[in-house]
Amino acid sequence: MHETDPTDLLTEALQRASAPFVELRFHRKRARVLAVEKGRVETAQDTEHTGVGVRVLEDGTWGFASTDRVELGAIRLAIDQARAAARSSARARSERTPLLPHIALARGRFEGAGVAELERRPLAETLDLVLRMEQQARGASSSIQSASSVYSEVFEEKGIVTSDGARAWTRLVRPEFRISAVAQKDGEIQRGSESVGATGGWDCLFRDNSAEQLAERAASRAVDLLRAGYPEGGRTRVLLSPALVGLLTHEAVGHTVEADFVLSGSVAAGKLGQRVASEHVTLCDSGASEFHAGAGGSIAVDDEGVPTQNTVVIQDGILRSYLHDRESAARFGVAPTGSARAWEYDNEPLIRMRNTYIAPGDATLDELIAGVADGYLLEGAANGQADANGEFMFGTREAYRIVGGKKGPLLRGVNISGQAFDVLRSVDRVGRDFRWDLGSGHCGKGQPAKVDAGGPWISCEVLLGGRRA
Amino acid sequence: MNTLTAAPGSVFDARAAEQELLHRARALTARALELGAAEAETFAARARTIAVRFEKGDLKLTQVDDGSSLGLRVFRDRRLGFSSTNQADPVALERTARAALELAAMARPDEHNQLPAARPVTPLAPLIDRELARLTVEEAVERGRAFLARVRAIDARLSIDNSSFEVRCVTHALVASTGVALAESDAQASFSVFGMAIDGADVSGFHYDGDALRELAQVEPAMQRVARDFAAVALGNLGAQAAESYRGPVLFAADAFADVFISPLVSAASAIAVQRGRSPLAGKLGARIAAPLIGIEDAPHDRSLSGAGSFDREGQPTARTALVERGVLASYLYNGYAARVDGRMSTGHAAGGPRGVPGLGPHAVCVLAGEGGSRERMLQHLGRGLYVQRFSGTTDAASGDFSGVAKSARWVEGGRIVRPLKETLLSGNAYALLEQVLQLSTERERLGGAALVPAALVDGVAVTAG
Repeated sequence: MHETDPTDLLTEALQRASAPFVELRFHRKRARVLAVEKGRVETAQDTEHTGVGVRVLEDGTWGFASTDRVELGAIRLAIDQARAAARSSARARSERTPLLPHIALARGRFEGAGVAELERRPLAETLDLVLRMEQQARGASSSIQSASSVYSEVFEEKGIVTSDGARAWTRLVRPEFRISAVAQKDGEIQRGSESVGATGGWDCLFRDNSAEQLAERAASRAVDLLRAGYPEGGRTRVLLSPALVGLLTHEAVGHTVEADFVLSGSVAAGKLGQRVASEHVTLCDSGASEFHAGAGGSIAVDDEGVPTQNTVVIQDGILRSYLHDRESAARFGVAPTGSARAWEYDNEPLIRMRNTYIAPGDATLDELIAGVADGYLLEGAANGQADANGEFMFGTREAYRIVGGKKGPLLRGVNISGQAFDVLRSVDRVGRDFRWDLGSGHCGKGQPAKVDAGGPWISCEVLLGGRRA
Repeated sequence: MNTLTAAPGSVFDARAAEQELLHRARALTARALELGAAEAETFAARARTIAVRFEKGDLKLTQVDDGSSLGLRVFRDRRLGFSSTNQADPVALERTARAALELAAMARPDEHNQLPAARPVTPLAPLIDRELARLTVEEAVERGRAFLARVRAIDARLSIDNSSFEVRCVTHALVASTGVALAESDAQASFSVFGMAIDGADVSGFHYDGDALRELAQVEPAMQRVARDFAAVALGNLGAQAAESYRGPVLFAADAFADVFISPLVSAASAIAVQRGRSPLAGKLGARIAAPLIGIEDAPHDRSLSGAGSFDREGQPTARTALVERGVLASYLYNGYAARVDGRMSTGHAAGGPRGVPGLGPHAVCVLAGEGGSRERMLQHLGRGLYVQRFSGTTDAASGDFSGVAKSARWVEGGRIVRPLKETLLSGNAYALLEQVLQLSTERERLGGAALVPAALVDGVAVTAG
């Protein structure tokens, strides 16, 4: 990471730009990855991707250009190219985008935790850890055929300068650790995996579990799943772990309240002020790491130079807010929520989630299990998707049958589905122990975004895709 | 210095781009060798893009980019190091070379860490249609606008969340200390539409469609087809109702068949997956793994598919590779490392870009067509049950277990579609069910311009209705 303020150069480049609105975003991304599989170092890499993205609003039309040369002349050329792109396409735009209303934009330096610590940490020590964890997982059982372990750290530095007053310099680091084990018996193969990710230093990354604990859990899950049966399919009451609550908040609700989807007619359109969930549900999306430090999607300033905030999306079951960039906020007549994010310098900012969660209640996990007469406890997050009509799906890695308030043996994970707001209305109890648990996840929406999500355990009703139909 | 930063709309000069990338790749490779690498390989890529994006029925943004990246792989004492940069200044290149060697000094040795020997590569017929490569920003905007207008004109109930039109001119170059020095350029136009249908309070599920092509003359006919197909599916999603739970035959459209069955199978055919003990295809070369009507090949010389190219990420020649013939596993896919472990030649399937070490994957997957006839005929083969056009879920490539939501799904009675479905989940084991593929359609679909796949009627699938 560099100690030179990139906003000086951007400010100089901006001085002679005559477009009505210009936004310059310097973005340096440096990633270091160490990956080991079955004792072999698969990857030991150090990559850098740096440049300046230029967005202009001219003739009521957006133009975007980028340059990988961080020099005054190249940035000015990119400004000219973005202006030319805007003017060339203005004829095709039927409605002019008005100039963005004036708001208080971020100014100053915003330094995330852990940057200096991870820069100093010897990479050789980290490689030793990655090798040891892979070896531990592979040696945990004779059934285990293979294991892999990956550590990555992404250092990001941004400078954001706009013609209407933003001048922010941000730096952060996002470390991740993944471990996976593959077990085989009688021709059947099962995989167990664990992953953690954070925005911050080493302590944030391994706050809830040590690397050794993660390796042990991945290995034992792979072996245990060889013996596990399948859940039955159908609509049922389930207890969702914090990771799955995170997926629920992200996939089932979060996407439907992104203002660009709302304007396209998502299921959340027109529902502000209406009840969309049970009174137990308060759902937020925050640029900060609420409750515990280190949530993976944390940003102090978004990629339009807007300071982030904790946006209360649903309060006690009532839909209160959408997620906005500057343009959508102007259309809705509200303040932007600091939700505009771009993956790399050559990506335009889009409305994205950051750290999405359901606020904790007061029940212990034992109390939640005791309250289920017939259902399942689900753990371990796989991928997920949401639809415009509120239908969502996401994968779970393991399931346990609950009968009469008692938890049964391990079953294989399945995908679950439902209608977002129907599921939120079915929430009848919310646990008290909060955890960020999707810090190693990325959201895809044309371009990736680093996000996190979590919450406490909750009890709700979903459709389970079991094996016996 | 990057001397090729182009003004929007300027003509893409493939020859100049190739020469410039080869020059930079040679310099970085040579520097790594000077610093002590036993072997070095630089993969360079440059892309010039004009992208036009529309949202909510209006033009959102026009973007022009021109950038390049270099990825350096070194071996020293059979230890691997890799570093990449998109910066062209000498300081950045020196930092990149030193970083790769520092990482190699840390890594553990592996006797198979060695660059593959240079082999002759026969260039494909030119992949660049000059008419396409010289499209201006204004022309790209107009084509994108016309495509969106065509979709919207079909039916007022269509709500387009976003659509796009993009022209991308790409050059790849690879220089290695083994004597490899290759470059190839490509230009493709791609377009997509993503949206739903809205009729009063009835909001359908999302649907998307698109294509990627190398010939400008083919773009307009493809846009007509995609607009028509997108509208038919999105409008058909309105009025969705519950399905019935059952276990039995399901008709998978090409997209869903590829997601649930073909992609995991191709992943499992990776020689590295086999060597690492995470593939169920280990020890099954020459054995039957699917119904006899299944044939799968990788066709990197098919210019109609977006992954076509004459050499892979390690500079090895590409060639048609039969993976499955009449249901029998015919080959695994190899890159240089996996080939050395098995003591054989690479099949030319090193994959990836300049920002990571070479991986392993297919270029252009083709599933051979069957004799089941058209979609209508396939519906008749199904008779009664579920027709799924898209799958939103997961298939574990190791175990083959899949579970997910049937999207754009239809209920079929008497061989005809009778209603759209919602909240319908599918599950099963892909590898077991490949033995129960009853029919493949005669027609195949181009999946995003990247693969050719037929529809498939598969028995034994568990369907759970909401």
